[in-house]
Amino acid sequence: MTRRLVPALAVLALLAGCSDEADPSRPVGDATPGVLRVLAGSELADLQPVLDDAAKATGVSVKFSFTGTIEGAEKVASGAAEQGFDAVWFSSNRYLELVPEAQKRLGTPTKVMSSPVVLGLPAAKVKELGWDTKRVGWAEIAAAAGARKFTYGMTDPSASNSGFSALVGVAAALSSSGSALDAARIDAVAPQLKQFFSAQTLSAGSSGWLSEAYQRRARGEDPGAKVDGLVNYESVLLSQNQPEPLTLVYPSDGVVTADYPLTLLTSATSEAREAHRKLSDHLKNADVQRKIMDTTHRRPVVPQVPLDPKFAVKDLVELPFPGSQSAVDGLITSYFDQLRRPSRTLYVLDTSGSMQGDRIEGLRQALVGLTGADESLAGKFNRFHGREQVTLLPFNSSAQPALKYEVPTNDPRPILDQIRTTATSLNASGGTAIYSSLRGGYDVLREQISADPDRFTSIVLMTDGENTGSEDIGNFQVFHQGLPQNLKGIPIFPVLFGESATTEMEQLAKMSGGKVFDARSRSLTAAFKEIRGYQ
Amino acid sequence: MKRTLGIGLAVVLLVGVVTAVVLGQGGGEPAQLQTVRGVIGSEKLAFFADQRVKDVFAKHGLKVEVDPAGSRQIATATDLSSYDFAFPSSAPAAEKIQRDRKAARTYAPFSSPMVIATFDPIVDLLTKAGVVKAGPGYQTFDVQAYLDLAARGTRWDQLPGNTSYAARKNLLVTTTDPRDSNSAAMYLAITSFVANGGVVSTPDGEAKVLPAVSKLFLDQGYTQSSSEGPFEDYLSAGMGKTPLVLAYEAQFVDRVARGDSTIRPDMKLLYPAPTVLSKHTLVPLREPGDRIGQLLSSDAELGRLAATFGFRTADPKHFNDIVKEKNLAVPQTIVDVVEPPAHETLERMLEAIAKQY
Repeated sequence: MTRRLVPALAVLALLAGCSDEADPSRPVGDATPGVLRVLAGSELADLQPVLDDAAKATGVSVKFSFTGTIEGAEKVASGAAEQGFDAVWFSSNRYLELVPEAQKRLGTPTKVMSSPVVLGLPAAKVKELGWDTKRVGWAEIAAAAGARKFTYGMTDPSASNSGFSALVGVAAALSSSGSALDAARIDAVAPQLKQFFSAQTLSAGSSGWLSEAYQRRARGEDPGAKVDGLVNYESVLLSQNQPEPLTLVYPSDGVVTADYPLTLLTSATSEAREAHRKLSDHLKNADVQRKIMDTTHRRPVVPQVPLDPKFAVKDLVELPFPGSQSAVDGLITSYFDQLRRPSRTLYVLDTSGSMQGDRIEGLRQALVGLTGADESLAGKFNRFHGREQVTLLPFNSSAQPALKYEVPTNDPRPILDQIRTTATSLNASGGTAIYSSLRGGYDVLREQISADPDRFTSIVLMTDGENTGSEDIGNFQVFHQGLPQNLKGIPIFPVLFGESATTEMEQLAKMSGGKVFDARSRSLTAAFKEIRGYQ
Repeated sequence: MKRTLGIGLAVVLLVGVVTAVVLGQGGGEPAQLQTVRGVIGSEKLAFFADQRVKDVFAKHGLKVEVDPAGSRQIATATDLSSYDFAFPSSAPAAEKIQRDRKAARTYAPFSSPMVIATFDPIVDLLTKAGVVKAGPGYQTFDVQAYLDLAARGTRWDQLPGNTSYAARKNLLVTTTDPRDSNSAAMYLAITSFVANGGVVSTPDGEAKVLPAVSKLFLDQGYTQSSSEGPFEDYLSAGMGKTPLVLAYEAQFVDRVARGDSTIRPDMKLLYPAPTVLSKHTLVPLREPGDRIGQLLSSDAELGRLAATFGFRTADPKHFNDIVKEKNLAVPQTIVDVVEPPAHETLERMLEAIAKQY
């Protein structure tokens, strides 16, 4: 009994640490002896059992606060991370080290484990492609993707490190030069990259949701089209055994590997420094490394631990990573504006009377933020992208006229300014006819899809209260079930705000294969930014 | 080896407190140890933290407290006023400190040649390509032949008859970031010497070599800021990630001497021809610092301990004993060693490379 109590107490302490803390710059509390406060990538959550053991063995417990790679880099660069954290732990420090203001705040790193980003496909598909008997390079993979011989899902490179590493990897491999990428080399391989990304039919802001959506679609639980495979960390792909285990394709010309450096911030106190050292030593212990390999499917970093046979290819060529922030930023920008399939995003926006005051202002700001007004690192990548079709559909007692825009790749400013002007002139009055307005949105999409079918299409529904229209969720459900496949599979991303009807919003997300985003305890701006990863 | 200073300065190693008491008992009364403070290149941190080293200093009535910092940082940015000695990892950095602080003398008790750590299949490939050659009792890495390959942007998969490592990436030695690290500066010392046909000492010489040597860094793309990073990748990720890694010989020898089986039989050391020595040079800033310099240079026990960390010492006996004891495949003497450029020249070239990122 006593032994079972310890982890339970640790969890309680962790929860208390999260909820008691009112100060957002210290989400995991003040510096405390024996506690390492770590700003981390969310994929490290699976390490918790290992860290629980580490706490028992070393007396050092880890308190995590999770964030995306680019956002995390931003927090380190601005000095905000130093306010509430002793260390950072992302899948890689490469991007952080390219941002000079962030680099100078990084102290001692300890690489804890590693996992390459590779392609996972069902065994039958690998056989069909003829890749079961020979190893292929990225060029062959890109050609097969361009011919739509398979489709895959991948995370948003600006929000999640697996997508980011995949983008860098495929770009580096396709550039025949074999040295690190710069802007000119990226332009030269754009056609091949475009081929590769044309088969990406699923995007997500997080690795976790990507896997779930992939499984739901495979089992027919989501109306969205089935996706053949995933580009993700080897560790994620190895743990993906629903509906069937994936066969991993290790490109012969190389990969980009995450190496998970637990990195002290230079601002850390000597107690935190000591805690970091103890924890690092513990994590690199051979037995702990073996446990990490067994439970998380990541590769060990100490040579004393032999690789498990589940890692089908042992010696992986590591591709060069760009040496400057401008090259990386340029690559991400090209991905959005030129390389990937363009997006079509419909915003169904509640402008009813209850939105008056701060709420409508919050909505205006959230939209304006996506037109390029947000100058943060993450904001740069979250703006409406080149080629994107953006439709704003405000509603109150009934749907208002749809406002349609298409952002050009070259000189997007005038169109973005138009969207901004529209957003700032949104006013709140009248009732809340959610479902008839949402239904009206499909008329817009039907027309757009028939003119141009090959896009990432999605709907954002933002409402702050109960439906007051005559059509209810039941009516909408009937309507939705009767939609043709290409409309039924469009994910709806409802945003919880104000007095949103939570259950109904969850139903909408479920029936469409979407996801609910909560803006009740944070700004609409933050929620709208997060949704960008899924559009 | 890192430019970032904050970390280094915050870490203070309390050396010898316990020792003082223990030894004091032997002497009848508690010894009053004199505290001596130094700022050191980070690769000597383990040496100064070692209990046996602390004991030797305590025997001489000394307690040494050290802060680790990047060697180039010690020379240019560190406030040295609170230290009794500075102990950077390279002669050019020490030379600048000596000049700035008007120190009467310096001590160079340890050194370690720059080496290239690699694997058997790569040695075979590069032997065929004319880069690896049989030297006087050890294998050398012909820097001129390497520069020729690099200038052409040669990829591994373009080497004739290469089936063992057909990677579609450039044939490049993995180094650290030239903006941050001493080992990258040492690499620049080697490559600029060869590209110039002699040590670079004039602005014309700098201009002449910069295009070729810049490429060696820039084409790698992202590089890590401390020499432990790529060396650990070499040990754990192996040939796929780092087929050729620039290292201090001491890093490799230290691992073998530890006997923790991190060095596998297929791992090989190559000595660049020419190479440079990373001369760990102590600059006394105050009298107590001078005593540390004297002890490190003359005390046999400290010399023996330094050799166990892989350093070559003023008296070659210590290192040679370790070589024999651990049956190491390293040469006792390295013949083709050149001098690095003057501190200012080296810094100017590093700045010029940094600007191109």
